[in-house]
Formats: sequence, structure tokens, C-alpha cells
Amino acid sequence: MRARAPLQPQDKKINPFFHALSKYRRHQYDDCLALCGSLLRQNSRDQAAFVLKCRAITAKHWLDDLEVEVEGLADALMEDNVAATAPRPGTSLQRPLSSAQQAGTGPSQAVRPVSATGRPVTGFTRPATSARPTSSQQRDLITTAMAMSARPGTAASGRPVTSAGRLVRLGTASMASLGTDGGGETIQVDGIDFHKYAKRPEIAKALCDYLIYFLRQPRKALDLAAEATREASFADWWWKERLGKCYFQLGLLREAEKQFRSSIGNDSRVVTNLELARVYLKLDQPNAALEVYQKASEKFPGDISVTVSMARLYEDLNDSQKSIGLYKRVVARDPVNAEALACLAAHHFYSDQPEVALRFCRRLLLMGVSSTELWNNLGLACFYAAQYDLAITCLDRALMLADDGVSAEVWYNIGQVGIGVGDLGLSYQSFKLALSIDPNHAESHTNLGVLELRKGNIEQAQLAFSHASRLAPHLYEPAYNSALVAFKLGDFQDAFNKANMALQAYPGHHESKELLKQLKLQFMAF
Amino acid sequence: MTEEGRSPPVAAIARRDSRTSRPSLLRERLNWLIYALYVRHDFADSLRVIEEVLKESRGLCEYAIFVKGLNKRLEGRVHESLSLFQAAACLNPQALNNLKQVAKSLYLLGRHRAALDVYEEAQRIEPEDWATWHHKGLCHVHLRQYNEAVVCFENANSIHRHDATFHQLGRVHALRDDFRSAIDVYSEALEFNPDSADLLAVLGIYYLRLGDTAKAFEHLGNALTIDPRKEKAILAAGSIIQDHGDTDVALRKYRVAAQQTPHSAQLWSNVGMCFFHKEKFVAAAACLKRALYLDPFEWIIAHNLGLVHLRTGQYASAFHYLSASINIKPDFPPSYHYLAIALSKLDDFANACHAFDKALEHGPDLATLLNYAITLHRHGATVEAKQKLSAFDAAWGALDSGIRASETGLEEQRSALHGSLYGVEPPSVPHAAPSAAVPPSAGDADPPSPGL
Repeated sequence: MRARAPLQPQDKKINPFFHALSKYRRHQYDDCLALCGSLLRQNSRDQAAFVLKCRAITAKHWLDDLEVEVEGLADALMEDNVAATAPRPGTSLQRPLSSAQQAGTGPSQAVRPVSATGRPVTGFTRPATSARPTSSQQRDLITTAMAMSARPGTAASGRPVTSAGRLVRLGTASMASLGTDGGGETIQVDGIDFHKYAKRPEIAKALCDYLIYFLRQPRKALDLAAEATREASFADWWWKERLGKCYFQLGLLREAEKQFRSSIGNDSRVVTNLELARVYLKLDQPNAALEVYQKASEKFPGDISVTVSMARLYEDLNDSQKSIGLYKRVVARDPVNAEALACLAAHHFYSDQPEVALRFCRRLLLMGVSSTELWNNLGLACFYAAQYDLAITCLDRALMLADDGVSAEVWYNIGQVGIGVGDLGLSYQSFKLALSIDPNHAESHTNLGVLELRKGNIEQAQLAFSHASRLAPHLYEPAYNSALVAFKLGDFQDAFNKANMALQAYPGHHESKELLKQLKLQFMAF
Repeated sequence: MTEEGRSPPVAAIARRDSRTSRPSLLRERLNWLIYALYVRHDFADSLRVIEEVLKESRGLCEYAIFVKGLNKRLEGRVHESLSLFQAAACLNPQALNNLKQVAKSLYLLGRHRAALDVYEEAQRIEPEDWATWHHKGLCHVHLRQYNEAVVCFENANSIHRHDATFHQLGRVHALRDDFRSAIDVYSEALEFNPDSADLLAVLGIYYLRLGDTAKAFEHLGNALTIDPRKEKAILAAGSIIQDHGDTDVALRKYRVAAQQTPHSAQLWSNVGMCFFHKEKFVAAAACLKRALYLDPFEWIIAHNLGLVHLRTGQYASAFHYLSASINIKPDFPPSYHYLAIALSKLDDFANACHAFDKALEHGPDLATLLNYAITLHRHGATVEAKQKLSAFDAAWGALDSGIRASETGLEEQRSALHGSLYGVEPPSVPHAAPSAAVPPSAGDADPPSPGL
């Protein structure tokens, strides 16, 4: 944010266009728009004002679309871009290498819990990490997820959102906001002759961005860009990149790939490379994406965004060793990169180095990040680093900042701390509180079951375990616990089913395997 | 496994039974094929043949239904197998095997009373059957009728001796905390089957429970000779080796176990205590913390961590871990003893005294008494200190000289305290006393519980 200039240009004689330009440079887009509006009212053919207005509106509604890959539920349901339906392990995001297959590269599931997608929990939540369901079994759950996460506005229709639909909605939302606080009419694009504008690249580029980022009409932008790239005799990387972007937004991935490739051929840019890799990710070809990242990082060795993207991808492929190496490189270049710091903190926390995790968390805190999640992680790291007084304060602060979405998690962690200090009463209460806030918190159900089991309430424990494993089939703990209880009670059929469920969630679980071996012996005839 | 070898004869009997009791040979003509495929574990093919036979015979071929039931049960579908066995039993109510399998399926489903009834019925047909008695015993165990169970198992053994029966009989004795009888049972089983690593390992663990480490080690060692990767035996044997101070050997044993069960809290706890013996405290704390992360309910790990922190002089952390340990297991006097030492180091004299009293509630302990006396003396309560010291002296005098000679640390501290309490020496001598008097072996041996 730039400081306001000390001298306000109150002088009436100042050139209004210069004034608007200066406002634009100072990121005061609303003022700039107002000035441009008055300029255009005086002379509706003022091209400079027109371009500036386009730019200002675009800048105001700019969204870094490389960072917001939200895959709508409908995309996940009607996924037909994926190249291979039964990919080999390691060649697809749907079947990442499980930690069992590459033992030693990272903490196993018994130490680092997994998220609903079957991957180790990450230190930094990104929309894309939770988008893709990894197995058909989890894909079935999308239907239930739809019921749970549908927002009030769409709940009535029950129609899942596609990512394109989301963009359209963003477009209408931004237009509505402009109507109230923008102080100026929008630009009418329906009557514009693209052919005429395509000959004027400086205007056309502003208009194209305006179409993509504000009106969210990739089809119109596509027409314009196609005209313009022909005018530029297919030599301008910018137009090809925008063409690719439009194709991507329209879901025409192969065309997008072609455009991005040819744009890179003209002039390789970081953005284009990132976008090309994104196309491959959408096609579920992580190895191709990695290749793109690799080439880009050779060409732009100092660029953080490539390294971060590569690290993310490795993390998604369950190759934590490589991803941590890359995050370390990011931090060396950019010591205040929140994502890299958070991921490093999580990594160290789960590999028995809570003190190091604590340091990373503290650095995040010093940077001014203050969120429930950070305080919560800080509290946990403090607790496992044996700094109990700080741990309680941090968790307190986390609770203070928490809204309903995450306070269940915080209470769950307080319950864990309770178990750690042997105060089972506290942990029991905490888990109950977590469940009162979020009745679907499977981890709390599991631990509550364990506590009930310790009290001897076997029925309630079984109930809690089965509830937990129904809510979260990706957790192996409730399934195994419930198998064990069923085995001890003598219900071998139930134990068999549950042990199999546990092994499905965690194929390398030694105890479940042992239990199954015993059960198989029992099932033999004699 | 032994049970696996047992399945063919049963199926063979079934074939013989059905053939003699049912004259219609046409329907039975493929029984040999079904049997051959089943014992070859060629389940898919055997199921295919069974379906054909059943279609041909309109579901009346008893043997096909029987083997289908066995198949389904191996797949883990006990409910289906139960109804199949019941159907077979309807076709031929006199066949012992049908009844036995119905009962077995009921038992697997946890309906122990119903299973018992069916077994009674089976015994009316054939009273001298080992498997029936064995399973009756199992049902009684699950119904917690241990006396009846013991009778059943003994009957089974009198007909035919089997590892499984010995195991179960031993387990019942162990469940009743009667380790002597359990050991007798397992010793008998070993005469019958001397090469069973399972039997040897469990016997070793029970000897360990009784405190007979020499015998325990012998058996565990034998078990490990037969099966060097038996992790239960490794853990138990390792803890004995560790108690004898041979930490490097113990660590080598644990390395084998760690490959199989990298997430066993007991294993990491024992590894941690090995490092503690070797005075590598950072490694010890790291291992123990990992163990505690894996199993936060295991009080002994918290206790061990408390010890490590006490030894490294981090008394506040020691206090936390010890109090956590006490919260989970309130009746382990050494925890109070060490808690008291931590408290006294933290200058909380009143609470330290409380903790010492609590530790002594369970009976006098030499180290506790001496440390109590030292703590009292350090905080200027000379009269009480003398009192405790005389109590200690009484207990010390009651020991025989061999043990006394081995406890050099206690003797040293005792004379030092005597000197400063009664003599002219300044009271600064026992300054290092409490941590030196901590016998580090107290909390480390953690024998894994036998059986699942």
C-alpha cells in the first residue's frame, strides 16, 4: 500500500486524465474510475480514458487465477478430461504413491494423519489440495459432500457448481459491486466490433483483460484474442497466452495446451509455464506438469512461484522428501513465504522435531499472520516441545479467534493436550465440546470412543467408533479400534469387516494385518 | 500354521460321512473334485463346481453346500456360511460335521450360548470329539465361565492334544491371574510340541510375569532361535537383557523388531530406556517422546520420560511427565517417589513431603525413605529427617548383606546423611543425593502383554 501523497491535487487546472492516471498508479481505483467516467461523459470517444477505465476496472477485480483453482463438485463428478482411467501408481494424482510404497521418504500414516483425500495433512490449506477425490470409494462421498457444503443460495436447486459457473457468478457479483460503489457505468461490450479493435493491440489488450477478469466472458475474450493474434501474425506471446487462458476457462484443455506451448515457443514466461502445467494437472498428468515446472525452473532459477508450485505437486504426489527440499529452497529465497513456512512447520512437527516447528510457527507469527490455525499449531508445537505454559495460552488465543468452522478442531487438540498431561476429564469434556460444535468431527468421535473404552463403556465406545468410521472412511484408527473391540467381544464377523476397513484406509497397518491373520485362522475349518 | 494343516482331514471326513449316509451317488459324483479344489485353496474354481453341482441337484447336494459354507467363511462372510451350514444340517441332521460347523459359525458371530446348545447336540452324536470340547471351552471363555472352560479344555486334551487347546487353557489360567497353572499347562504343551515359537514365547512372558527372569530368558531365547523375527519375544527378551545392563545387545534385538512394527510404543519406550542406560539423554528423550506420541495412555512411558528429565535436571518437565503418569495410573509408588524428588528440587517442600508420604503408603521402600530423609534434612526439618533415617536404617539392617553390598549408592548416601545429621560435617554433602539415588532400572522393563 502506498502512502497518500502529501499534497492533494486540489488545483482545478490539473489535467483530469493525468489526475486519473495518478490515481490509478496509487491503486485508488474508485477515484480513477470516477474521473474516467466524467472524462468519457464529456467525450465518449476518448480512447485514453477508455483504456484507463478498462485497466482500472480490471485491476480492481483482479484475481490471481493461478492461485484459486477451485474445482467445483460438478467438475469432480463429470470428470472426463483425465487421460488414463486406470493409471499406474505415481503417474496420476488420483493414485499417488502411498507412503507404504516408498517407506522412509516421509512420516507414515500412523504418525502424520491424513486428510479426507487420503494424503498426509498439509501445513497450508489450498483449494486444490482438497479438490480431487483419490479413489472411487471417496468419489461416492461427493454426493454427501454436496448435501453438506451446498451454500444457502444454491441449496434449493441442489445443483452442483462447476468452476466455469463459479467464474460466471464471480462476474455478476463484481458487476453488482461496481454498480453500487464504482461510480460509473460499465463498458458496453455487446456492440463492440472486435475486428476493429484487434488492429489496435494496446486497446485490445486492455479490453481483453477486462473481458476475462471483470466480465468473466471467456468466449467473447476468445473471439477478440483470436482476431488479435491473427493481426499480430501469430508472433505475440501475450495473445496466445490469453487465448490459452480462455480455452482453459472454457474447458477446452487440449486447445489451451497448444496455445500455451506455442506462446512459450515465442517467448517463455513464468506465467505461461505455470498455466501450461495447470492444464496438465487438470488432465491428471502430474509427470508432464513436473517436466514443465522443471524446465521453467531451469530458465527462471530465481522464481519462487515455480518452485512453490513444484513443491505443492510433490506434496500431492505424497513425495514429502522432495517437496520439503523445494520448500526449503523457497524459504532461502523468500524468507517470508507463508506457505513454505507453514509446510515446513508441519513437516518438522510430524517428524519428531516440535522445537523446529515452533520456530517456523513463530516466524509466521512475527510476519503478522494471526489466525486460529496458526495459534493452534503454535500451541501444539509448544506442547510437544514441553513448553506447557505457552501451549495453554496459545490454544486459548486460538479459541478466541476461532469461528464455528475450526473451533471444533481447536477443542479436539485441547483434548489431545488433556490426554498428554493425563487429565482425562479435561480431554473428555473437550471432545464433547468439539462434537457439540461440529457433530461430524470424526477424530473426536474416535478419541471419545477410546476414553469410553477406558471407562469400560464398551457399547458407547463401539457406537463412537462406528460413527467415526462412517463419517471418515479415510481414518484407520476408528476401524481398527472397533475391530479390536469386536474381536475381544467374540464377534469375529464384525472384527473381520472392520479390520479390512482399517487396512483399506492404511494398507501398511501392521496391527490390522495381525488381527486379520488371527481371524483367518479362526475361519478355517476344524 | 498348524490350523491350516488341519482343514483337509475335516473335509475328508465330511466326504466319507455324506457318502455313507446318502446313497444317491449320482448327486455326489463330483464331491472328489470339490474337495480337491478346496484343499488346494483353489476357491474360485471350487465355488464354480459347487454352483454347477447345486444347479444340477437343485440344491440338494449336502457336501457342495458344506464346502460352499467353508468357502464363504474363509472369505469372511460368516452370516452366509451359517445359513449354508444350517441348510446342510437340514439335509443331513445326523452328520456331526454339519452341526459342528453351524456351532462354529454361531461362535464366530459372537452368539456363544446358541453355539453351546448346538455343540451339546453334536456331543449327543459323538461324545468323543476333540474339536467339540475345544470350542465348547472357547464359548465358556467368552461367557466368562472359566471353570467350565477349563473342564472342557482338559476333556479336549484327554481325547487329543493340540497346541490350540493348550494355548486357550493357558490363557484362561492367565485371565484368572493364575500364572503358575498357566506355566504348567504351557510346559506340558512344550513336551508335546517342543519346537513351537509361540508356546515358548508365551511361556517366557509368563515366567517374566512371575519374576523368574532366568527361566523366562531361557524360553524366550529358544523362541527366538526358532523364529528370530517374533516381535513379542524380541521385546520381552530385550527387556530382560536391558535389565542386565547389556544395552547394546538389547538395541540390536530391537532393531529387528522395529523393522516389523515401527509404530510400537512399547518398543520405542524400551529403546529410549536403552539410551538412558547409555547416558544418551537426548536420544532417550526423543525415543520416549515418540513412544508417548504413539500411545499417550501408556503411563510407563510418561514415567520413563519423567525419569529422563529428572536425570538431566529439568525438574519442571519431569514434574509434568510424572504427574501425567500418576493421573493415568495412581497406584505406582515409584512415580510418587520421583515426583517428590522433582518437587523438592523445585523448592515445593510441602508438596514434596505429601508425595513422599503417598509413595510410602504402599509400603516402605528403601530409596524412598532415604530420599525423604535427605529432602527433610535439606529443608531443615532435622527431627523428621532423623526419624525417617532410623526407619531406613531398620529396613536396611533387615536386608541380607549380599543385597546391601550391591546397593552401593544407597550405602554411600546413607553414610553421608548420617555424617551430616549426627556428625560435624556441614549439610551440603548430600546435595547431589536425590538424583544419584534414583535407581534407573525401576521403570524400564515393560513386558508386552501376551495374547491379543
